[in-house]
Amino acid sequence: MRVVIAEDNALLREGLVLLLRSSGHEVAGVAATGPEIVPLLLDQRPDAAVLDVRMPPDFRDEGLRAALAAREQLPGLPVLVLSQYVEETYAAELLGGGARGVGYLLKDRVGRVDEFLDALGRVADGGTALDPEVVTELMSRRRRDDPLAALTPREREVLHLMAEGHDNATIAKSLVVTERSVHKHIGNVFTKLELPPSDSGHRRVRAVLAYLNA
Amino acid sequence: MERAVGRAWRATWHLVVGFGLSCACLFLVALFLIGLVATALVVGAGMLPETVMTVRRFAGFERRRVGAWTGVEVPEVYAPLTGTVVQRLRSAAGDPGTVRDLLWVGAQMVYGIALFCVVLVLWVPAMVVDGPWCGVLGRTPVVLPLLTRTADLESAWSRALLTPSPQARLARRVEQLTETRAGAVAAHGAELRRIERDLHDGTQARLVSLSMRIGLAKRAYDTDPATGRALLDEAQTQAEEALTELRHVVRGIHPPVLTDRGLEGAVRALAASSGLDVEVSVDGTDDGTRAPAAVEAAAYFAVAEALTNAAKHGGAERASVTLTRTPRLVRVRVHDEGRGGAEEALTGTDPEQPRGTGLIGIRRRVAALDGSVRVTSPAGGPTDIEVELPCAW
Repeated sequence: MRVVIAEDNALLREGLVLLLRSSGHEVAGVAATGPEIVPLLLDQRPDAAVLDVRMPPDFRDEGLRAALAAREQLPGLPVLVLSQYVEETYAAELLGGGARGVGYLLKDRVGRVDEFLDALGRVADGGTALDPEVVTELMSRRRRDDPLAALTPREREVLHLMAEGHDNATIAKSLVVTERSVHKHIGNVFTKLELPPSDSGHRRVRAVLAYLNA
Repeated sequence: MERAVGRAWRATWHLVVGFGLSCACLFLVALFLIGLVATALVVGAGMLPETVMTVRRFAGFERRRVGAWTGVEVPEVYAPLTGTVVQRLRSAAGDPGTVRDLLWVGAQMVYGIALFCVVLVLWVPAMVVDGPWCGVLGRTPVVLPLLTRTADLESAWSRALLTPSPQARLARRVEQLTETRAGAVAAHGAELRRIERDLHDGTQARLVSLSMRIGLAKRAYDTDPATGRALLDEAQTQAEEALTELRHVVRGIHPPVLTDRGLEGAVRALAASSGLDVEVSVDGTDDGTRAPAAVEAAAYFAVAEALTNAAKHGGAERASVTLTRTPRLVRVRVHDEGRGGAEEALTGTDPEQPRGTGLIGIRRRVAALDGSVRVTSPAGGPTDIEVELPCAW
């Protein structure tokens, strides 16, 4: 797959290039400053883009803005946004509009190479990859007569992994249960949260996230 | 007519209290003279500062009374009386406020009684003239307003005597600034120590242990790959934990979202993640320049604390945050319809759950920047927390 990287820190940039090349991906281009990103993406039209949030010249949220701007011109362009810290608001902005192929992860996760590549692959396929920390924050919110309280611990785990964007097979694997029982848990979660049943695609992630974000 | 009579009654009452105060002044003069004699005889040296404090209390009462009558507050500035008897005597004698108070005590004794007599006398023509003049004929009262004017006169005199001189106010301001600067230096020092401790005990220790595990893994690399792998797994976990800790430290120093989005964006992010229904409004004349980083951070932490309190302890479901930015000031006001009682726990009724501890931290932070915190949170709610931070010094 052809990937564009935007990261201002040379060390991390080289690391990402190395990581992607060694796992058989092609690095179609690298951007080291904010203003380079959108032209590069429009020029290369990669299969996925990996963007750092904070970039020169202002070191604010250039990467995030570039991701949103590029997706306006290239709808559906898969972007995986990396950041030194996660902020719910940013997740909401990225996921807004029901768009497909969005990821938002802490930079730390790059260290778990397999999981990172899995997340990138998911995003490139139009799926979602949301950092566990964002999901934890969303789930720990206080709600009026919290319906999440009605979930069993296992169902909460399933909901957490669903919100991160994993499919049933991965959920089953990480919880060490069968896919059948994952399917059953998901059904229970949707019933208890009074969500309309939906397939296992990105629509399901949207429904869950929309619920958690409310 | 009725309104004029009402006003006259209030004026009369004002002067009756003034008369009472004059009598108290008589007593204060006696007390002061006894104090002087006692101090001269050394035996009763502690008495004079106490007398000065009593005079201050009476003067303070008169200031509030004048403030209430005219609607304009009378500022109060005193040097604090602390330390040994000699120190207290010295600061009492050196305080220009003491002289002012004594002048007022002497004057109030005279005009308080005199004006009270005037008002008593005025009631006779008021009844004789204004009674038929406006009670029967319906004309504008003539004598009744004079009663109000008499009370005004007393207030004006008291104000003139009790308003501290500009120098005294300036001196007090310098004192305040010295205090807040000392507070700022202390807060800064404490903050540096906290950061140092967090980095030293947390991150540094983790990195050492991480490096150690990598070293061990290298040794095991050829002979025992399984152990090497397990060690590398542990090393990665350690690295991740170090990163998480660093993130917490950074957030505590200066929240990154403030840098990225400015105060308004950061407050909106707080509101979104608070779990409450929060309405954020922004007003004021924002010319686009950002407030100093320390001011933004203090405002941010204040809002964070207020919203946490509202959700956690106040049981609120909705709140509103108002952000005002003028060239010289940042003001944040957080209002919630929760149970209230945010401040009472400052004294700590339940040591396990001291509600106000966060608020105390906010007060310190804000005071160090010469700002102010106002909390109104009656039991049963609502709670209002208002923080004002100057941006130009």
